[in-house]
Amino acid sequence: MSLHVITANRLHDGVSVWFAGARGWAEHVDAAATYDDAALETALAAAQPADVAAHVVDVRAVPVTREGAHLVPVAHREQIRARGPSVRADLPAGPWRDGAAPLPPLPSASSTSPHAGIYRYDEYDRDFLRQRAREFGDQVARRRVGALSEDEFKPLRLMNGVYLQLHAYMLRIAIPYGVLSATQLRQFAYVARHFDRGYGHFTTRQNIQFNWLRLEDVPAALAVLAEADLHGIQTSGNCIRNVTTDEYAGAAADEIIDPRLYAEIMRQWSTDHPEFTYLPRKFKIAITGAAHDRAAVRVHDIGIEAHRNAAGEPVFRIFAGGGLGRTPYVAIKLRDEVPVAELLRYNEAILRTYNALGRRDNLFKSRIKILIREMKPEAFIQMVEDEYAALPPDYCVLTPDLVEEVAARFVVPEFPRQDTGALAKALAGDADFAAWVERNTNPHRAPGYISVAISLKPAGGIPGDASADEMDAVADLADQYSLGEIRVSHVQNLVLPHVAKDDLYALYQGLKRAGLATANLGLVSDLISCPGMDYCALASARSIPVGQRLAERFAGREREIGTLHVNISGCINACGHHHVGHIGLLGADKNGEEVYQITLGGAADEKAAIGSIVGPAVSTEKVPDAIEAIVNAYIARREPGERFIDTYRRLGAAPFKEAFNAAR
Amino acid sequence: MPLVNTKGELIAETTIPALRVAPDAKPDAVAAQLGAYALVEIEFPKFRDGRGFTLARTLRERYGYAGDLRAVGHFLPDQFRALIGCGFTSFLTPPEHDAAQYAAALRPGRQPGQLLRRSLNRAREAQLEQQAAA
Repeated sequence: MSLHVITANRLHDGVSVWFAGARGWAEHVDAAATYDDAALETALAAAQPADVAAHVVDVRAVPVTREGAHLVPVAHREQIRARGPSVRADLPAGPWRDGAAPLPPLPSASSTSPHAGIYRYDEYDRDFLRQRAREFGDQVARRRVGALSEDEFKPLRLMNGVYLQLHAYMLRIAIPYGVLSATQLRQFAYVARHFDRGYGHFTTRQNIQFNWLRLEDVPAALAVLAEADLHGIQTSGNCIRNVTTDEYAGAAADEIIDPRLYAEIMRQWSTDHPEFTYLPRKFKIAITGAAHDRAAVRVHDIGIEAHRNAAGEPVFRIFAGGGLGRTPYVAIKLRDEVPVAELLRYNEAILRTYNALGRRDNLFKSRIKILIREMKPEAFIQMVEDEYAALPPDYCVLTPDLVEEVAARFVVPEFPRQDTGALAKALAGDADFAAWVERNTNPHRAPGYISVAISLKPAGGIPGDASADEMDAVADLADQYSLGEIRVSHVQNLVLPHVAKDDLYALYQGLKRAGLATANLGLVSDLISCPGMDYCALASARSIPVGQRLAERFAGREREIGTLHVNISGCINACGHHHVGHIGLLGADKNGEEVYQITLGGAADEKAAIGSIVGPAVSTEKVPDAIEAIVNAYIARREPGERFIDTYRRLGAAPFKEAFNAAR
Repeated sequence: MPLVNTKGELIAETTIPALRVAPDAKPDAVAAQLGAYALVEIEFPKFRDGRGFTLARTLRERYGYAGDLRAVGHFLPDQFRALIGCGFTSFLTPPEHDAAQYAAALRPGRQPGQLLRRSLNRAREAQLEQQAAA
């Protein structure tokens, strides 16, 4: 006979609660009432009185075992819900915030980072965000009195970046095209400190997530962020999501066109678009303007490469139907040279076709990539072209005036500093510094400057996590050394884009003092990881601990191994981009045990490829051995200067499969 | 059921014949019948199904339909401005949300609408001026 408790999440703060019969809902599983199979149905009915929808959501029974005085859920996921994230023993589940504490003044009240390359808001833009924050406050209030059902409220909260996760609500804030000012980063630190438990998580889509929000605090947090021109609009839901781009945009030496201008125009175009806000499924757009694709445009719903035509004018190569998730695809190309004036119109034609025909009967087949394959690419392209040809000629034209109007809102930085040789001297005198420069910098288009990547993957850390103090430290260093500007990369690191070479050594020392000078960019421990089952309600397995095991295993030899991208997802939704990791890990649950399927040969750049499965899934304990065997097979076979992915492409999967099979 | 106009005001039920259109209707098939109707009703089976937005715009812009375009079925007050933006002119409000909620949705400072709207409108005006001058 099995034993059950009844659990739910509290509507107003998202905390996991446990039904204690006549005593209502308890905050700890040990206080729950237990029911055998026979009593369960009656108890479930009792747990759901008529007005319960206003107080708790997602009421359900979960099996437990009794261990002494404790009740322990059987499912791994429910154990984590009851306790808190396994990777943060310092943060137990349950209510944690005193909502009454007075708040200090906002960082945005005393600084605007005047030189940072963000889009400069005017009062119209700012009013827009304030209105949206108020609108969401209104929606929360209507939900709490039952004027909106949970079913109706859910898409509305998602469109404001609010998810209900295992322990609380999660708030996802967009970082448009990955560009932040120091003031904005301080505003994030403020939200982390006062509305969350002191940290945030940078994601693979140039967003930041706060894990511990109370629903009743979200409108206030959004209002705080709005004061720094930040928002969570369309960071979730079945709408056009945050437009992403190259984290070195406007700084990279290999850039052809600065994509930020067009990303901003597309952000404004897609924000509250009347027609495309209730799509069959989420819709992601990425744009790059460099020879080397750092924005992974070929694995997006729409991918855009800005380049120049024969006349030297900017034009766009348009791809569609790429994506990861359950059915990964590399995008198909629709057109090579869409002119600037037609960019939004062409996007509209694609979205209109998708909105009308994309499947709504099956969640797993609802992305545009499936529509394109079901229709056949040729038929899809023809349909888009017909739709495009039928658009009224004056509709949604990106006129030179409009482009100029948006361009004028970006500060054009000056790069007057010259390289006077200080860097060369410092490199010669400090081997650790030299190693860090070799891994963590990128060439800048101005000769006296360099871009710096700040790794958020320290040994034993959580990929992409940054504490409020770390955010403040980076903001200060950005003010001092990078025109007050910070970028967020899709590999979950931060970038200081415009650092004078002469200042690089001083910056490095500042980063070292803040514990942010990990020299591992592109190495094994610079792995991409989704939050996994430690936080996420969708996950099937944890991602962070297995990444930590790998980082630990390779700590001594990752420089010898060289560039190797390891990407980890805790479920098939692939937020950790496992398909496009040189080595990918996909977590799954096999009879209550966490197992990981390993893929090899994926890539997200202009040679985009979906990795191939190397063999059966292996247990958490076996993952480091299996990966080590694969890496050893590479080391034994590589030619001088050859990266893992290049050796894999040259030799194919066979030697790696053999090594894997011997180790598993 | 209460019928409202684009200001959220209650209006009288109409008795003119309506062409009822399912969200998966083929626009060209609908277009062939448009001439015979001064009222087209587009169904929203549930508010998350956004096909009606595209269908409305297609009938208005591609096929030049100028009559009354009515939303029927399940849609939210929170979608009111977007529905208007796609060309709907009347709304048969669902039982879950009374007509007053739709009027309230249009209060100043509620649903701000497409962010690029301001610039696009300016661009369109400039373009029209240019065409007039030429």
